[in-house]
Amino acid sequence: MTTSLTFETDRVRQLDIHVLPTPKFKTITVVMNIQQDLREETATKAALLSLVLKRASEKYPTSQAMRRYLDSLYGTVFETDVIKKGERQIIQFYLEVANEQFLADQTPLFARGIEFLGDVLTSPLVDGNAFSSKVVDMEKETLKKKLDSLIDDKIRYANQRATEEMCQDEPYRLMAYGQKEKVDAITPEELYSYYRELLAQNPVDIYVVGDVDPDAVKREIDRHLTPERGEPVALSPTLVQVPVDEVKVVTDRLNVTQGKLNMGCRTGTSYGDDDYIHLLMYNGILGGFPHSKLFINVREKASLAYYAASRLESHKGILMIMSGIEISNYGKAVDIIKEQLQLMKNGTITEQELNQTKAMLTNQLRETLDNARTMIDFAYNGRISGRNRTLEDILQDIKNTKIEDIQKIARKIHLDTIYFLRDREGQ
Amino acid sequence: MEEIYYDQLKETLYRDRLDNGLSVYILPKPGFSKTYATFTTKYGSIDNHFRLSGQEDIQVPDGIAHFLEHKMFEKQEGDVFTRFSNQGASANAFTSFTRTSYLFSSTNQVYENLETLIDFVQDPYFTDESVEKEKGIIGQEIRMYQDNPDWRAYFGLIESLFVDHPVQIDIAGTIESIARIDKETLYQCYHTFYHPSNMLLFVVGPVDPGEVYQLVKQNQNQKQFEPPRSIERFYPDEPDRVKRERLDIELQVGQSKCLMGFKEKPAKISGQELLTRELATGLLLDMLVGPSSDLYRKLYEQGLIDDSFGFDYTAEEEFAFSVIGGDTPDPDKLIALVKEGFLEATEKGLDEEAFERSRKKRIGRFLRSLNSVEFIANQFTRYRFGDSDLFDIVPTLENLTLDEMNRRLKEHVDVGRFSASVVKPGKTEA
Repeated sequence: MTTSLTFETDRVRQLDIHVLPTPKFKTITVVMNIQQDLREETATKAALLSLVLKRASEKYPTSQAMRRYLDSLYGTVFETDVIKKGERQIIQFYLEVANEQFLADQTPLFARGIEFLGDVLTSPLVDGNAFSSKVVDMEKETLKKKLDSLIDDKIRYANQRATEEMCQDEPYRLMAYGQKEKVDAITPEELYSYYRELLAQNPVDIYVVGDVDPDAVKREIDRHLTPERGEPVALSPTLVQVPVDEVKVVTDRLNVTQGKLNMGCRTGTSYGDDDYIHLLMYNGILGGFPHSKLFINVREKASLAYYAASRLESHKGILMIMSGIEISNYGKAVDIIKEQLQLMKNGTITEQELNQTKAMLTNQLRETLDNARTMIDFAYNGRISGRNRTLEDILQDIKNTKIEDIQKIARKIHLDTIYFLRDREGQ
Repeated sequence: MEEIYYDQLKETLYRDRLDNGLSVYILPKPGFSKTYATFTTKYGSIDNHFRLSGQEDIQVPDGIAHFLEHKMFEKQEGDVFTRFSNQGASANAFTSFTRTSYLFSSTNQVYENLETLIDFVQDPYFTDESVEKEKGIIGQEIRMYQDNPDWRAYFGLIESLFVDHPVQIDIAGTIESIARIDKETLYQCYHTFYHPSNMLLFVVGPVDPGEVYQLVKQNQNQKQFEPPRSIERFYPDEPDRVKRERLDIELQVGQSKCLMGFKEKPAKISGQELLTRELATGLLLDMLVGPSSDLYRKLYEQGLIDDSFGFDYTAEEEFAFSVIGGDTPDPDKLIALVKEGFLEATEKGLDEEAFERSRKKRIGRFLRSLNSVEFIANQFTRYRFGDSDLFDIVPTLENLTLDEMNRRLKEHVDVGRFSASVVKPGKTEA
């Protein structure tokens, strides 16, 4: 009775509904994604919108009223967020309700949850043709604070700074939360008209995972989620092919004790490409796991770091290498990492590294089946890229990957930017 | 092997204690892909002064439990990660105040991985050279945490609340304290705390409980262990006051971080009593400062808090404390208002409706957490080491009364046992 990763898909009121019935969870998870192009003009608005919608609706005009209602529905989880996948920005609504079959109380929690989501989506707290200015003003402050606090997490900060330097002329440089300097100018009227347009024409996907009947899900959505919509508009593709002329080297200084080294690479390959699975394998061998070249050579052999890893952004095709090091070891760490990139190009990969990576990736992918959120994310990646791979297809491709395939991918990979966040010593 | 069925939750738990003292628990999760197993010793950062019966008591360097955790992964034939990677498992470990846990998750070769887990934890291999090398890696881990403002605020609070108790010692130790760690002390700690009678194995996933049990039993029967000996742990008597009322730390942050909390009076309670106290205090904090509370609303509307604001309560046999706070533009005002709100509540008492709402929320969230095999294994172990049972959470919540909650409120809120810790933006010029 292992769940497969196949969602039942249908379109209701121009909303794309994807349902995966499974008895293995004690809750029902709903994720609604509204998608738009990542652009400077709208990125900050989308972030503010996600905060405003979460805070109040016509029926629950204060955050407190909303939270009290959700608490009374056995701690129904309701969150909104903005994320980016390649050069798409997604406003995400997350709802998770307990399944009442595990409770003494038989209130139909899923139906109430969808009704609630409908309230939030189609009846926000407005004042004429504008969102409530009180809510907007408060959330502007929240958003600015959120953007300010990026610097608190130095790993994330270094990542964002490296990405900005690397993608200076591409929308991908933007954060999902937008730009602080753009927040103040947004008016409640402007935000509301932006929202209405977004809801009327942008792609909306709703995912439901849990012990549910797909027809009942569609009925509840049809009854409670009733925005006026037309055929969803087509969005722009993410720019993946970006030539690298020379390696950019950037250093920032802050009051830190540990240096953060980021090395960003262009892979020229993204989720929709045939050789994407080979890129996954490449990343796994280079820096995805504790047996990977980066971990073994930067941490275990040279004892230079606590973490040394690489992460892949599948839709933009950026491979980011990151490590936290003693500041004086910068040169040594860069050399060792470059050497690992070269070894990948030369195809200096052992059978053991290949097989371990296959086993680990296979495990990682199978584990997505144990979490409603990761299942939804998997399906949505297929949706965004326009290429729906099944889990079985991916596992088969992993199994078939040869060292030559990885070497072929390695030749397409170019180091673009070396970014170092360090202390202020000797400045 | 004993079988326990939890009707409301529709879960079945199998348990046994082997001849060598090892506690084994298995929770089958049909329909899941991965199996998750933890092998945990009741040994954490607070256990720095102890005596194995028949021996002399010893005091060990700060951070050694965590150091030992790192070193367990290295063997004569190489790194254990390699072995797990060959078998498609992701393995990890963590050290807390009271536990050290080794774990893996895998969707394949589960039995091989389970044997690997048990075998590597039961086979220490330390050399002078590898101990020295580890100091470099852990040194970087310590530095990473030094730059992490959330961690600094959290530990700053604990360190301010507690005067003598070793809970205030950073789990990883310091660069200076780990410099004093050597192979001999590591072995001594190992032989004291890694005896099967001080350990618990938890396996959760799509497994056949009988097969898992046989495998573990056979594995253990092939090995020789000393007879179990009791471990005496020494903790200083913690005074009924805080070390300091407030700690300020300067770091490069965008906004100040402010955490505050109350230390409990030393109570030395365990079992059901401790579980009840933990759950009651959790509800209490949710009612007082959770997103549905009047205080939260006031703080939010005044722009003093954002979504990072939250609370937590840690309760172990030896120590307990609450943590409340998050990012704020004005730590002074936030501290004053939270303190005021808590004192007001102790005078007014708690609201029945809020109590019911909070309890419902907690029950729903508990169901939610049972979707996670990681949660089940880790939390079950934690409660078991404290002589209570994870699966008693719902009935315990259902039995709580408003009177009990009000009593708990008065016990917990005592300004003499209150501290705050603030991380604020430092001067950015060097």
